[in-house]
Parts: sequence; structure tokens; C-alpha cells
Amino acid sequence: MTFLTKQEILLAHRRFTELLEGDERNHPNPRVPMDVILTLTELKSNPFKKRICQVFSTSENRDGSLTFEDFLDLLSAFSDSATLEIKSHYAFRIFDFDDDGTLDYGDLEKLVNCLTGETADTRLSSEEMRQLISNILDESDIDKDGTVNLSEFQHVISRSPDFVSSFALFLFYPVFSVPNDAILHCFI
Amino acid sequence: ALSTTEQIRKIRELPVSFEEKKHDVYLCVLLCCLLLLQSMRRFGYSIKSARQTLQLWQGIMKEIGGKFGSSVLNYFVLLKWLLLFNIFSFLVNFGFITIPLLVYDLSLNVSPNVSFRGLELLTGAGYFNYTIMYYGSYSNETIRGLVDYDMQLAYFFTISVYMVLCGLVLIFSMASSFKKNYALADPASNSAWQLLCSWDFSITNEKAVNQRKNNLRIQLKESLSEKAHRERQTTSEQLKQYGIYFGSWLLSTGLAAGCGASIFYLYTETWSALKEAETLLVPFVVSLMNMVIPLFFSLFNKFEQYSSQRKQIYALLFRNVLLRISILGVLCYYWMNTVPQKFTCWEPMVGQALYRLVIVDFIFLMLGSLFGEFLSNVIGTKIQPRLGVPEFDVARNVLEIIYAQTLAWIGIYFSPLLPVIQILKFFILFYLKKVSLTHNCQPPRRSGRAAQMKTIFIFLLFFPFFVGALSIVAYTSWRLTPSEQCGPFRGLNSTFSVTGEWIDHVNNNSSNHWVGWIYQNVIRSEIFYFLSTLIILVIIYIFWQLIQGRKQLIVLLRRQIINVSLNCPPE
Repeated sequence: MTFLTKQEILLAHRRFTELLEGDERNHPNPRVPMDVILTLTELKSNPFKKRICQVFSTSENRDGSLTFEDFLDLLSAFSDSATLEIKSHYAFRIFDFDDDGTLDYGDLEKLVNCLTGETADTRLSSEEMRQLISNILDESDIDKDGTVNLSEFQHVISRSPDFVSSFALFLFYPVFSVPNDAILHCFI
Repeated sequence: ALSTTEQIRKIRELPVSFEEKKHDVYLCVLLCCLLLLQSMRRFGYSIKSARQTLQLWQGIMKEIGGKFGSSVLNYFVLLKWLLLFNIFSFLVNFGFITIPLLVYDLSLNVSPNVSFRGLELLTGAGYFNYTIMYYGSYSNETIRGLVDYDMQLAYFFTISVYMVLCGLVLIFSMASSFKKNYALADPASNSAWQLLCSWDFSITNEKAVNQRKNNLRIQLKESLSEKAHRERQTTSEQLKQYGIYFGSWLLSTGLAAGCGASIFYLYTETWSALKEAETLLVPFVVSLMNMVIPLFFSLFNKFEQYSSQRKQIYALLFRNVLLRISILGVLCYYWMNTVPQKFTCWEPMVGQALYRLVIVDFIFLMLGSLFGEFLSNVIGTKIQPRLGVPEFDVARNVLEIIYAQTLAWIGIYFSPLLPVIQILKFFILFYLKKVSLTHNCQPPRRSGRAAQMKTIFIFLLFFPFFVGALSIVAYTSWRLTPSEQCGPFRGLNSTFSVTGEWIDHVNNNSSNHWVGWIYQNVIRSEIFYFLSTLIILVIIYIFWQLIQGRKQLIVLLRRQIINVSLNCPPE
């Protein structure tokens, strides 16, 4: 079940096959390793690129490698027409850095650091971090257990109207091989 | 091996019992239904993908949204929406009013000594005065053809149905936007979760991502310190704060009122001078005021310190709206009161005045883009690097297009083909702003609140701008006497009386007396409106009490969740 249109699936296939080496293209179900996926322009600068690959990867050792189906799942969850439940579910999994099913202090600290900067002079001080995470938990931890579980997260997300439009990724058309329908886009 | 058809034929020829034959029939019907469903589904998909290809500017909007965020995208979405309004208006007006006129050749003849010069494009007078552009050229006859097509009724109903439809669309989108972004949204303005969850995953530019991270960090720090700041102000500081607020509000209202008065004075002095180029003076002054005075408002804003950034934006918006409404109000007052007495054929005069306003406004929008964005970029990067690259001022630009659309809405009654100019204007404006944005501006420093700003913009579009335009058109058709010599309503006491005459006509000719009864006792009676208003007020009060009850229920449920989790903690 996918939220992508036929055009988007074809574009995704084209971009995916561009990532494959020559001999891998004949493989029935090729699996692309994470560092190759991260060369895509749409993912290269994303602060959560590694977590996104790890969440959507179906390999046994969760090393972040993606097959074409995983790639489609990724794009489908990030597309315009995906529902709020799907997006909040995947957002929760992406923010859950230790994969334990809840967002505890460590996960939230890593989340804030991801979004504010990794270097020493751009991080928040530990006092500010503590204050910030305590504010976050005040707002969203309804059952006061010190962690944010999936339903509390979805509750907070449902009150944030900007989330659906910001949790989105679009593949760009490749520069020199523009399909005819894209040309129509430009002129209509 | 036999082919499929042969096999089916052979199976058919086998002797089967009646029940089995019935089974076959059921199976056949089921297969047919399945095939039909599948082809319908395929048809639905192809319609959906065709619709996607035909959607105007979709690729450009995705690109803008990815690079600049959804607050800037709101401007372009609103621009596209207003363009669709104008396209619909043009189709409706052209189809129902202008085409019958052209086909039956009922328009006024052009006087032989007026030819087309270039100046008409700017002033709208001269040669254009005698074309189908303005109200004056439309006829009041009834075309007898296959059906009796009454031009008066056509004109009146086309305009009023279009305005009512616009109003309904605006009300519905305003209500749904309000529900999504205010009622269900988090009331806290920059809570940490809102900032974290509004991270835009579609940004692909490395520099933009770093900038966003920077801005987010600043905003998070601000949200932490805001609470502390609020508790730290002493009484004397608070008094000083209130003094500054009072002073700047007084100044802004004074500026707006002063602009209105000066426009009125200018109009009374120059309307009598009918030399064509001089009629451009008033639109020029109006647009100049609209461009310069908001700069003063931004200056006042810098001196005041509002507790939250949202209040600052709202204050600035309110002042700009006040300025534009006072200028528009003065202009409409002049058009409704003084112009009908001065001219015999006054509606085309108002139409021309609006045409001039629209054209000059367009020129100033282009100039504003040049000064506001291009020059600021040059100054910010080369001459005074401290200022930096300018940001795209969403609020100011949105207010400009709302004002432009209000002019078009007022003008539809007086000049049915004004939407054509508006379509061209918005089309060119889209590409101009897109180019200016990508070359001259940087992404906004503060993220978030895009959805709430969208609600505010739609609300502003509806009230006071659309409501104002609708009331001007309603006042014109209700109270003002149409001109005697020209236009579709010549000779009548008021435009609205066409409906009265039509109802009488219907009443007398056919046996549908209930139509007349409904018109007299329901639409024209005051007691009906009084009773319905009373009932609606009672219903609103009941819903309001329901909402209060629900709020209390939410508080109780939250307490219950905490109790449950304390008593039986999860494993």
C-alpha cells in the first residue's frame, strides 16, 4: 500500500537504479548500502539521514541498507498524501534513537542536538538542555512516567498543524533527462 | 491445445443442469462487475495523474516550499487561489453578460472622433469608455431568441451570484482553516515541541539546513528565557512600555486618518480636471502612500517591544490593514456620494477610476519588488554587509495582493471585464516574485506558525476586505440610482428593483403565485430576518456552552490518565 502516484514511483525507480553499480542492476532485488543512499541530494543534508535509513531498512542487521521496496516505503511515508498517523508513527521511530519504543531523556537530548548543531560551540549548555527537556516532558508526558510513548507523541503531533507539511520529502527530477510530463509542468 | 474461445465454447456446449447454468450466469455477472470496477479504478487513477499534470505551477511551488519553508509558500498559494477566483469571475462574466451582447451586437456605437491612443492602457478612459470594458456599454433589452434572455437580470444575477459564491468559499475555507490551526492546535506559542516538530524535512540545501539549525537554536533559547523575562519587569518599566505602545498606536491611527483625509482633499480638487493624464495623480498618490507608510509602521515596531513575536506581527498587520481600509473607505465614500451627482453616466467613471487604481497598483508592486528586494539585496551584500540578505516579507506581500483583489471585487459591478486585467496582473506577479525571491532573498529566520498565519490571512481576506467590497456593491445596487442614459439598469429607481419587476412578471404570467408570496413575505419581510437571527443566536449560545463542558471534560480525563498510570505503571 503506497501513497505515491505512478509518476512518482517511476521517478523513484529511475533514481534508485542510478545508485546501483553496473552488475548490480541485473540482480533481482538489489540492496543499496547506506552510504550510497546518503549520496542522494534529497537526503545528503538532512540531519536525520542515518536514522531514516535505519528505520526503513529491512535488512537483518539493521545496517541501513535499502532495497527498492524499502526506498518506496520511505518515499511513501514522506509523501504529501500520507496520513498523519503514518507520518507520526515513522517520526516517532526516527526520533527513537535507541529503538526502545519510548522517547526518554537520552533520545530527546540526541534529538535536540541533531537539530541545533553537533559542534561544541553550537550546542545548548547542559543547564539549558535540562530545562528544555523538562519543558518538553511537562507538555507531552501525560502519564508522568518520564518518557514520551507513541500515543503521547501522536497526541502532541496532532496539535501541531505544521507537522504534516514539514514532514515531507520530494524527489527532484534529474536535470538533463526530464520526462515529457515534467515539461508540461513547466509550461502550464 | 484449444484456444481460450474454443475451450469456452466447448464448455458451453456440455449438457449442464439448470442450477449449474444459473451458477454460470452468476459467475459471469460477478466477473463483469469485477472487470467494471477495475476499469473504473484505472480511470480514476488516470484522472488523478492527469489532474496532477494540469495543476498550475505545482513544480515551482514545491521548489519554493523546499527552499524557503511553508510561510513563504503561503503567499504563493494565496496568489494562485486568488488567480483562480479571477479566472472564474472572468468566465462567468464573459459567458453570461458579454457574449450575448457581442452576439446580438447590442453595445453602444463608438463615437467617430475617438480613436485608440496609447494612454488608454493607463487611464482606462477615452476609447475604452465606449467598449464592453465598462458598465455603460451594456444594454437593458431582452433578447428574444430561443429563450427570452433578459440582459438586466443576467447582469444583476451574474454579479450577485458570483459574490455570494466567493463569500461562501471564503467562509468555508476560513472555518476549516480555523478549526485545523486554532481550535485543535497547541495554544502555547513557541513551545519546544512545536519548534522541534516543525523541522522541515524537504530542505536540501546544506547552507539552508545550517541556517535553520542556527535559527532553531536561537528560538529555543528565546523560548527558555521568555518565561524568565516576563517575571522580571518592574512597574516603572511596565509603565514606560505602555506609554510607548499608546504613543505608537496614536501615531499610526493618526497617520492612517491623515492619509485618508489628504486623498479626499486631493480627489475633490482634481476630479474636475478631466485632462486624461491628470486623472492618474490620485492613484499615484494612493499607491505611494501604501508603499511608504508601512515603512513608518515597521519603524515604530522596532521601538516597541512586544512579549511575543506573534503579537508583534499582529500589531503590524493591524496597522497596515487600518491604513488601507481608511484609504479605500475614503475613495468609496467619494465614489458613492459625489460622483453620481456630478455625471450623468457615472458608473463607467467609477469603473475607470478603479481601472486606474489597479494598473498603477500593479506598476507600484513591480517597483516595490525592485526596491524592497533587489535594492535591499544589493545594499545588504555589497554596500552595508551588516544588514545581510533581506528576507521575504510575507505579511506585507500578502496584504498587497489582498488589497489588489479587493479593488477587483469592487470593480466587477462597474467594469465586468476588470478580472482580465487582474488575471494578467497576478500571472506576471507570480513569476516576478518567484524570480525576485530566488535571487534576492534568504529563507526566513524564524520558523513555525505558518499554518496560523495562513488562517489569519484568509480571515483578513474575508473581513474586512471582501465584506467591504460586498457592502459597496450591495449599497450601490440598493440605494443608488442607476444612470439614466447608459448601462443595463437605465430608467430604474434602483438596481435591485429588477428582481421586483421580474417577480411581478412571473406572478402575473403563470399560475405560480407561491413565488410572489415567498418573495413578498419571506425575502422582503423584516420579521423573517429578525426571527432567524434570534434562532441562530440561541443555537450559538447552546454550542458555546457545549464547548465549555467539553473543556471541563478534557481536564477531568487528563487527571484520570495520571491517576491510572500512577496506580498501575506499565511494565
